[in-house]
Amino acid sequence: MPTRTPAVQATALTKIYGTGDARVIALDGVTVDFHRGQFTAIMGPSGSGKSTLMHCVAGLDRPDLGAIRIGDAELGELSDDQLTALRRDRVGFIFQAFNLLPTLTALENITLPFDLAGRPPDQTAVDRVVDVVRLRDRLGHRPSQLSGGQQQRVAVARALVTNPEVVFADEPTGSLDSAASTELLGFLRRCVDEFEQTVVMVTHEPSAAAFADRVLFLTDGRLVDELTAPTADRVLDLMKSLEKVTS
Amino acid sequence: MLKAMIRDLVAHKSRVVMTLLAIAVGVAAMVAAWLISDSTATALSAQRSRTDVGIAVQRIDSDAALTVAQSKQLADLPGVRGVSVVAVGRAGLVGADGKLVPGETVPEYAGTNWSRTSRFELTEGRAPAKAGEVVLRDAEAAKGQLRVGTRVRILLADAKVDTPVVVGLFAYRSLGPRSDPQLGSDPVPAVAYDARTATKVLGDDVERIELTVVPGADSTALTAAADRITGPGFRASTGETLAAASAREAADGAKDLRLALLPAAAVALLVGMFVIANTFSILVTQRTRQFALLRAVGAYRRQIRFSTLVEALLLGSAGGAVGVACGIGLAALLLPLMNSDGRIPLAGVPVAVLLGLGIGLLVTVTAAWSAARRAAGISPMAALRLDHSTPRAQGRRQTIIGAVAVAVSVVVIGLTASPSAENAARIVSLLAALVGVVGVLLLAPVLAGFCLRPLLGLVARRSSPALRLAVRNAVRDPRRTAATGTAITIGLALICALGVLSATLLSLVGSTVRENVPAATTIVQPAAGGEAVLDASTLELVRRLPEVSTAAGSRDVVADISYRGGQTVRRVSAIEPHALGTVFTPDLVSGVADLRQGAVVSKNQADMLGLRLGDELTVTFDPAHQVVTKVAGIYDATELQAAIFVDVAAVPERTRSRLSLIYATGPDPVAAKAALDRTFAVRPDVEVIDRDALVTRLQDVQRVGFAVLYAMFAVAVIIAVFGVVNTLILSVTERTREIGIARAVGAGTDLIRRSIAWESLVISTFGAVLGVFVGLGVGAVLQHAMLGQHLADLTVPWLVIVLGLVGVIIAATAAAAWPAARAARTDPLRAIASG
Repeated sequence: MPTRTPAVQATALTKIYGTGDARVIALDGVTVDFHRGQFTAIMGPSGSGKSTLMHCVAGLDRPDLGAIRIGDAELGELSDDQLTALRRDRVGFIFQAFNLLPTLTALENITLPFDLAGRPPDQTAVDRVVDVVRLRDRLGHRPSQLSGGQQQRVAVARALVTNPEVVFADEPTGSLDSAASTELLGFLRRCVDEFEQTVVMVTHEPSAAAFADRVLFLTDGRLVDELTAPTADRVLDLMKSLEKVTS
Repeated sequence: MLKAMIRDLVAHKSRVVMTLLAIAVGVAAMVAAWLISDSTATALSAQRSRTDVGIAVQRIDSDAALTVAQSKQLADLPGVRGVSVVAVGRAGLVGADGKLVPGETVPEYAGTNWSRTSRFELTEGRAPAKAGEVVLRDAEAAKGQLRVGTRVRILLADAKVDTPVVVGLFAYRSLGPRSDPQLGSDPVPAVAYDARTATKVLGDDVERIELTVVPGADSTALTAAADRITGPGFRASTGETLAAASAREAADGAKDLRLALLPAAAVALLVGMFVIANTFSILVTQRTRQFALLRAVGAYRRQIRFSTLVEALLLGSAGGAVGVACGIGLAALLLPLMNSDGRIPLAGVPVAVLLGLGIGLLVTVTAAWSAARRAAGISPMAALRLDHSTPRAQGRRQTIIGAVAVAVSVVVIGLTASPSAENAARIVSLLAALVGVVGVLLLAPVLAGFCLRPLLGLVARRSSPALRLAVRNAVRDPRRTAATGTAITIGLALICALGVLSATLLSLVGSTVRENVPAATTIVQPAAGGEAVLDASTLELVRRLPEVSTAAGSRDVVADISYRGGQTVRRVSAIEPHALGTVFTPDLVSGVADLRQGAVVSKNQADMLGLRLGDELTVTFDPAHQVVTKVAGIYDATELQAAIFVDVAAVPERTRSRLSLIYATGPDPVAAKAALDRTFAVRPDVEVIDRDALVTRLQDVQRVGFAVLYAMFAVAVIIAVFGVVNTLILSVTERTREIGIARAVGAGTDLIRRSIAWESLVISTFGAVLGVFVGLGVGAVLQHAMLGQHLADLTVPWLVIVLGLVGVIIAATAAAAWPAARAARTDPLRAIASG
């Protein structure tokens, strides 16, 4: 895979929770680039800091030390409002659960970023993402009327609809069965392949990581390894060896 | 985003119903208070729009009289077209039940002469034409159940009785203000005879002469001329002046009524605000993840804040609208009850509608403000947390501020606790009490923890699982428990404070009367109450009884008093010197109880005016009657009692024959009382009572005033109960999962229902008990500040406290019914599935 200009750059990120005995170093000087048009998976045992890394990089949380750049924006220099606007217009999110507002229909959830920006939705973009996730016949439904897999597809559509520079996904398949997981990961893969979308995903499932172009491994808040063109078996092997090292 | 919020409101109607009700009840109280005062004012001023009188010569000194020659002179003034004399006389109307009909005017002014002016408007029958005929005012006739064609008993002056036939009913239209020291007053009569009969039956006591004038006459010159003819006892004014004064009086009356009603309505709104604030606080907590998600996908803080405020705005408008409608209904319902005359149309509706809506909005948005700020402060990270009921941080700052406020309040109250404190110190004391209340409310979450945690240990050992669950839930979030409970605290604290004040006042009234009036004294007083008086013939009647050895009359008049320190207006009682020490035994603090040596003054009046024994006093009854005396004795009494006694010999002749009260006793007090009872059995206008009945009468007067306030504050408690229902519903929603799990592992619906009921009871009782203590504290300060008592001299209103607590417990149990039923219906499977 050829090296391209990074969509997201993180330099020497450090994040510490709590004080005294309860002090936990979640991130310990992590430096990482996420390349444009690449599907990156972040893996690691629980407590390794993989979620914290993603939250900081995505502008949801602020690191104690270090710098993050998304495109031309230096996140540390942004005010809360600027950061909010950046999340709205230039970043897409897919969470493990509770991605949707229960009182809005699927379509309204998808166009929520436009709604928040006070802009009319970009109809071509909406049509495109709706077709990608194949939700055309479900648009008028409320989240409670959709299956878990369909709900996550709505979340994917919402994440993609603003044509963001990067999409962050935090354990997006965590509460889905394997068929729905495969389908969802397939959508993400297509976005990367067909629309050159940059995707960063946190997961603990090797099978999910296998959909990525590149897998980063985190342990105790540090980047410890990296794998390109992964398969589920290679990911699993690496994880086993890491666990041996740490234990 | 607004769409999401509005759908959320619609989807969770039960969440908002109670908030709506809380807003609506507060607004309704406000609107009703406004409408009642406004309508009464409008009706009062509308009644007085007489335009047929050019100039009215009104008696301003009750001793003044007008001769026939003087009225002739008035009639002969250039520009005067006609003269109509208004005479008044004693006419006590006896109802069908044989009792005196309580009228708008006291009996001694309730009779008048019929005239063809616009004073009267016949509503039924015909005008009186000859002796033996009479017309009655419709309101009094209705009260006494007296109909046209029946014979009626009228009690006249000097114990005479007339029994004419009612030939008609009239409505009265007043000219000028009802009571004005400068312009005189126009008493509303209950009884009218034809002019000739009136002179015979009522006497020729001229109250007013109404002059009609030719158009274009110089009213200023005419007024001056009329004043020259009649002398200082009468005052001539133009019809316009009187109309203006009457409008002013109506406006003042409305303002007073409003000032009395609106604060109570404001209390209701304040409690409503607590309920709303609490509801929004819970709503925001419940929606933490929604807000966090919105923040994550790009909603600005201000958008979140705005959406919460819009929600408040919508609720405020809806609650305001419902409240306005209820308020209008309530006013329409209450007006006829409050005004026995009925016929008062609703006025000021547009203003009330705007006021209600405006206040509904203002209160709701203000109450939701802090919740909106909190919602905006939610971090986008909160969307990622799986358990969404994150415990709220204990407000350490709030606790510190609360503790400081309570400490400051206690110290300041302690420093200003002296009963002889100046007015300024008393006001400081009251303000300190207010600060203390705010402090306690701020400390409420800590107190809730303190009080309920030991309870948790207590119920853990031996009690039903329902109670254990309930207490654990109440303790789990002391902040919510406190916020819910304190709404009740405010309402009950007000009621208790009022209870202390009223109980202390009543016991003071009782003890003072008992101290100053011997048990052997029988009291003869006018049955009409208020400002009504008995005439000299009644005192004569009492004195002539062989069983009565001592009888004295107290004549209470308002007079100007000049003293060393300045000049003031006070109520002065003129009484026979021999009464002191026999039928009336003032508890002397210093000096002698001898009116021949000077005035006897109550201690609180003496303190207030800075009077000491031997100080000179000039009492001016009217310009022609001035008495110079000195302070001969000082006695102990409350502020309610007539406080300055002077020798009856010093007062004007007319005042002497206007007796507010007669004290009598005999060698055998029981026989004397029996004789008096017998004598006045045929006189419904006279009441014979013993000392204890006098105490009861005086206390009843106070009780009526307090009853209105109790009712108003009860509204506040009702609103607070809505708050409890609301919190319970919200907490049931919040705990759906938990309740579902409890159901799944075998909790019966009955257990769930009972645990919710217990929770309601625990929260409400906490609020109520706190309210009782706060109320007792505030009450102690109130009675100190208002009655000049020691802080510890308060009378505890046990009945009020017990009724209040029982009421809250019943209300809390009832309030739990709906949420408890909802909780019990929770489907275990669905509850667990809804992650």
